[in-house]
Amino acid sequence: MPKKVVSIVVFPGSNCDRDLDIAVQKYMDVNTELVWHDDPNIKNQEMIFIPGGFSFGDYLRSGALATKSPAMKEVIRLSKKGVPIIGICNGFQILTECKLLDGALIDNYKRLFICKENFVKIENKNTQFTKNIHKNVVQFPIAHAQGRFYTSEDNLKRLEDNNQIVFKYSSRDGKINKSENPNGSMNNIAGIINKNKNILGLMPHPERAVNFSEDNDGISFFRGLQNLL
Amino acid sequence: MNLRKLLKMIYRVYINFKKGILDPEAEAIKRTIDSMGYKTIKNISKGKFFDIEISSSKNTLGDLEKISSDLLSNPIIENFKIIKK
Repeated sequence: MPKKVVSIVVFPGSNCDRDLDIAVQKYMDVNTELVWHDDPNIKNQEMIFIPGGFSFGDYLRSGALATKSPAMKEVIRLSKKGVPIIGICNGFQILTECKLLDGALIDNYKRLFICKENFVKIENKNTQFTKNIHKNVVQFPIAHAQGRFYTSEDNLKRLEDNNQIVFKYSSRDGKINKSENPNGSMNNIAGIINKNKNILGLMPHPERAVNFSEDNDGISFFRGLQNLL
Repeated sequence: MNLRKLLKMIYRVYINFKKGILDPEAEAIKRTIDSMGYKTIKNISKGKFFDIEISSSKNTLGDLEKISSDLLSNPIIENFKIIKK
């Protein structure tokens, strides 16, 4: 049987698309198609990734200009049909700017670009994206200047009540507190899912946590996604 | 001022953060001003503006409102205001 094909949308300024491509092919056991942003057709619609980077140079706001790309218009259309979509880092920023995910990702509270390993607690393991990850706390690198998750207090409560918060920055043993919060995100939020549970956005980079050993947590993240296809 | 300049239709769209959203850049600028010895500066908020020249007055404000809320600003974190220059 031919392998299934997963789509990765690439924008001018994306820079994690190749890493993602390698991780997806290797650990999801699929083929990939890189879709250039001005292509209004996404042929392979089983699953779509929006990679990290600096789409359109982060001009205006991170992710803002990418929302108007023909490929993103198609992603928005497909998202309403329940297609699983994952946005990583700039991909998460693009998904919030498209209003496919709640909130906004704004300047880190110390205004630094943060690039480091961080522990991330999986807050909701009942999603199609996280149910096969064995650990409760994973270690993924983060690399961003605009990762501070912000939303209104009402929305935050709604996200908590609906179990839409999927990842939170934590200590190695899963404690959630201010000292483990790298960027000032509300409630240490590192990743959320939409209400219909088919769109995931996260700031940490699982595709950068696959290189060094079989224990790398990115591997279990991508292997765990095989069940979606 | 010449007539051509008078006839130009330019709108300015101001964008700033909504109240209560921490802007670390404005905070850093405020701290620097404090360190310069000025004692009376209570608060600083930072914003940006776009000057937009249009070719026809038809539907201008409606279009500008849409452009401002749909692209130039993110209504979750920012306010915008449009003025005729």
